Amino acid sequence: MTDALLPSTRINLERATVLVLDDNGPSLDILSQVVSGFGVKQLHRAESVADAQSLIKTKTFDLIISDVQMPVTDGIEFIEWLRREGGDANRFIPVILVTGHTRTSQIVKIRDAGANYVVAKPITPKVLLERIFWVAREDRAFIECPTFVGPDRRFKHMGPPPGTDGRRKDDLPAEVGEAQTPNLSDDEISNMMRPAKVQI
Amino acid sequence: MTVRKFKPPNRLSKMIKERGGLLAQDAIAAAEAGVESLREASLAALDETLAEIETRFGKGAENRESESFEALYVLASRIIDVSAFVAGTGLDRAAMSLCGLADNCAEVGAWRWDAVDVHLNALKLLRSVGGSLPTAQRDSMLQGLYKVSHFRPEEA
Repeated sequence: MTDALLPSTRINLERATVLVLDDNGPSLDILSQVVSGFGVKQLHRAESVADAQSLIKTKTFDLIISDVQMPVTDGIEFIEWLRREGGDANRFIPVILVTGHTRTSQIVKIRDAGANYVVAKPITPKVLLERIFWVAREDRAFIECPTFVGPDRRFKHMGPPPGTDGRRKDDLPAEVGEAQTPNLSDDEISNMMRPAKVQI
Repeated sequence: MTVRKFKPPNRLSKMIKERGGLLAQDAIAAAEAGVESLREASLAALDETLAEIETRFGKGAENRESESFEALYVLASRIIDVSAFVAGTGLDRAAMSLCGLADNCAEVGAWRWDAVDVHLNALKLLRSVGGSLPTAQRDSMLQGLYKVSHFRPEEA
């Protein structure tokens, strides 16, 4: 789906407008320093979901990085709000959630919140840049339905759960059936690899 | 149920490929330098948090029974937030275990003070000598904490 981030890969985040949200000051400082180091010039900080929502209503962002555990309204509720009520300019932007620990009761909620990626704290620049690169390059479809809005959660193409037929017309069964035609010969395979002129 | 499947434009995708910018290795180095500038303040915040946990939830805290599970959870989370500065001490994993314990206590609605005390002692020890403990000894201590808190690192 996406190429790996190599040390020699060039990335340009100078024009990106990024929102970082964390209720813990020292943690927000670390996130901000990391994102600034990546070359982001337009960085907006929020220490509460209410502050973040105010910013979302007045600015257009290209990426959001949000903590999960926050008082009053947490990162999960924030993303759910963003995906439904964040306005056309911001509703579909990439979101990376960061969390130090996931409560048992929140595992499914985080999966269904509509974030593009979840990154474990403590944050390291290398991991965060890899994830930003990943969400920038991914071509996952968005799903919008009454129970979920966000990037397609079934992006690994592992098929529907065993024993089920799946719900989509392009779902393939997990079981592989018998071959319907003979195996290709060595010559046939070689011919497929042979360089050939093409008309462009 | 109506399901809409579509591909919205990804502005970040276009920007990141534009001319200019930084090599990934330089971006990471710049970010690490920026984070390093926060070392002193972050370690001070870490020690303040440890002190607050001890004051509110330690053995000597008079009112710890009336404290909320959430309060301990939040304080333990704050340790994880800045624990990159004490990498290799095991403090982050002990704090994750304490989060798991607080979450577990919240689910059943009762404190397990013995388990809390063990975690607080471990946090103090790891903060002071965690980096110099033999790896096997540190890991064994953390495994003990996980057993007490029912924390499963692979699921965190």
